[in-house]
Amino acid sequence: MPKTPAPGPDERMRALIVDDEAPARQRLRRLLEEIGEVTVVGEAVNGADALARCAELDPDVVLLDIRMPGMDGIETARHLNTLEEPPALIFTTAYDEYALDAFESQAVGYLMKPVRREKLERSLQRAARVAGTQLVRVAERAGLGKRRAQICVRLGDHLKLVPVEDVFFFEADQKYVTLRHRGGSDIIDDSLRTLEDEFAPDFVRIHRNSLVALRHVRAIERGVDGRHLVRFKECDDVLPVSRRHAPGALRQFRSGR
Amino acid sequence: MSASPPAPDAAGDERRFFLPDFCAAPVVLAIVLMAALLGSVLALGRQSGHGAFWTDLARTSAFLLWTGLLCAGVLCKARPRLARMPLRRAMAWALALLTGTVVVVSEVVYLFGRTWQDRLGIDSGLFPTGHWSFVLPNTCIALIVGALALRYFYVTGQWRRSVELEAKARLRALQARIRPHFLFNSMNAIASLTRSDPQRAEEAIEDLADLLRVSLSDARAQITLREELEVARTYQRIAQLRLGERLRVCWDVAELPARAIMPSLLLQPLLENAIGHGIEPLPEGGTVTVRGRVDGPTMVIEVTNPVAPSGRPSRPGNRMALDNIRQRLELAFPRRSSVNVQEGAGTYRVQLRFPLTMVETPDDDGQ
Repeated sequence: MPKTPAPGPDERMRALIVDDEAPARQRLRRLLEEIGEVTVVGEAVNGADALARCAELDPDVVLLDIRMPGMDGIETARHLNTLEEPPALIFTTAYDEYALDAFESQAVGYLMKPVRREKLERSLQRAARVAGTQLVRVAERAGLGKRRAQICVRLGDHLKLVPVEDVFFFEADQKYVTLRHRGGSDIIDDSLRTLEDEFAPDFVRIHRNSLVALRHVRAIERGVDGRHLVRFKECDDVLPVSRRHAPGALRQFRSGR
Repeated sequence: MSASPPAPDAAGDERRFFLPDFCAAPVVLAIVLMAALLGSVLALGRQSGHGAFWTDLARTSAFLLWTGLLCAGVLCKARPRLARMPLRRAMAWALALLTGTVVVVSEVVYLFGRTWQDRLGIDSGLFPTGHWSFVLPNTCIALIVGALALRYFYVTGQWRRSVELEAKARLRALQARIRPHFLFNSMNAIASLTRSDPQRAEEAIEDLADLLRVSLSDARAQITLREELEVARTYQRIAQLRLGERLRVCWDVAELPARAIMPSLLLQPLLENAIGHGIEPLPEGGTVTVRGRVDGPTMVIEVTNPVAPSGRPSRPGNRMALDNIRQRLELAFPRRSSVNVQEGAGTYRVQLRFPLTMVETPDDDGQ
């Protein structure tokens, strides 16, 4: 659902600026101040910072640089989408041949640096939420890698990032997917199917409702009833392997040794 | 990794191999023409009488045509294998194959002629009479002409290669220019500074202009180390505008003689890589170390940068810049330069080694 940024007379659009370079942030801030109608509620210097700021400040629109240290702009955007009410996004970039093609093809708003005031104004009027699927396609086409390095967990209004390498397994029940990781367990919105697509071959489906990280598997054992069980190196959970998934799981576990 | 010799790859080897492709139509035509010409020269050289000349010409030309085409066929078939051998061995094998073919053809011609003449009982003068007086001289001629031909192919091959290298170096020089990402980000930073700090904006424009001027000039030119360091420092100043405290550069180059000359734009691309691939992906930034020393007759320059632990594959731009530097060094100092990369423990180091040469005029030392 696109969030329509329609500020009433007293209600200005709230913007967050995300860029790792201070001069770039300053310039955007100044342009936004000149345009009026927009209040810059904050700045963030990288992707993780942006997530924290967004959760805290709840901006209407985020101006997001694509090339940033750590987490790039596209991945940041995908995490932002897990917020209850995701902000509208405008990407900014100095030069990114492939990313720009990708944005064009997905009709995602972007601005070239140095940003012109008129273009910024127009983008703000049109700014819209960007769907997660669009972002995946952009990331693929731009050669940025569709795989996230982290999983974003929503805790009330906060977003928590869990590095993918810390995840032991994903387990689905009727409604949610539980993420078991080094720091505990959390609930996420992604479906097992999309997680499997994104993180194969490091994660392997062992059951209709579970996906395990090969690197954290200690052993696959045969239980008393002949069914296979997965044991982990760093946690005591034991997950059953379904008959259908057993051959594939065993093969991948052995070849991964 | 070192500048010489490049990694073996079969297709490339064959393309670069000094022998031409003897199966190609123009080469076959050339062989036919050369056989005719050589036949005439030999027939003329023998100064046989008026009547014998045409017979002599006919049989020599026919013989040369056969040997020429067969040799071409043999070399054509053997070329892929020869191309994979070391040069000397390939030469020896090619010569052996040529001579062998000539010997076989000579034998066949002799035997064929003897049976034919015996059966028909005529002596047309078209076929050799003596066995060894025919085969031995042919073998010697094959050895001499073969060696000369191989030498010729080798020299023209070398010449073609150097022309190609030169052309490639020009292209590389074009590619060595400032990357668009850097350029636009710098312009953005300058746009931002024009109001907040006009003086720094002005300086930044001057720096950017200097940098563009160098990168637009001929990158095959030789410049002094002092100039090269200045370019690199200019680059650093602009990058500093954007990255602020995240970028720290430690210069340890006091030991290098400022008057040493080197191909331009060697250090700046290394610094650019170190910053672009090393510092920029690090949220906290880091320190790039540029260290220079003189090792006997060799100048050694090392650029070290930290790398992000995430282990993402290095961007292709990095390798391109290194290939570029390697090729330009190789062109400037054939076989006397090297580019080495060391990776490990969160750091990335590139080391350049090339002969130390000084500017001849000592009087420009002062400035």
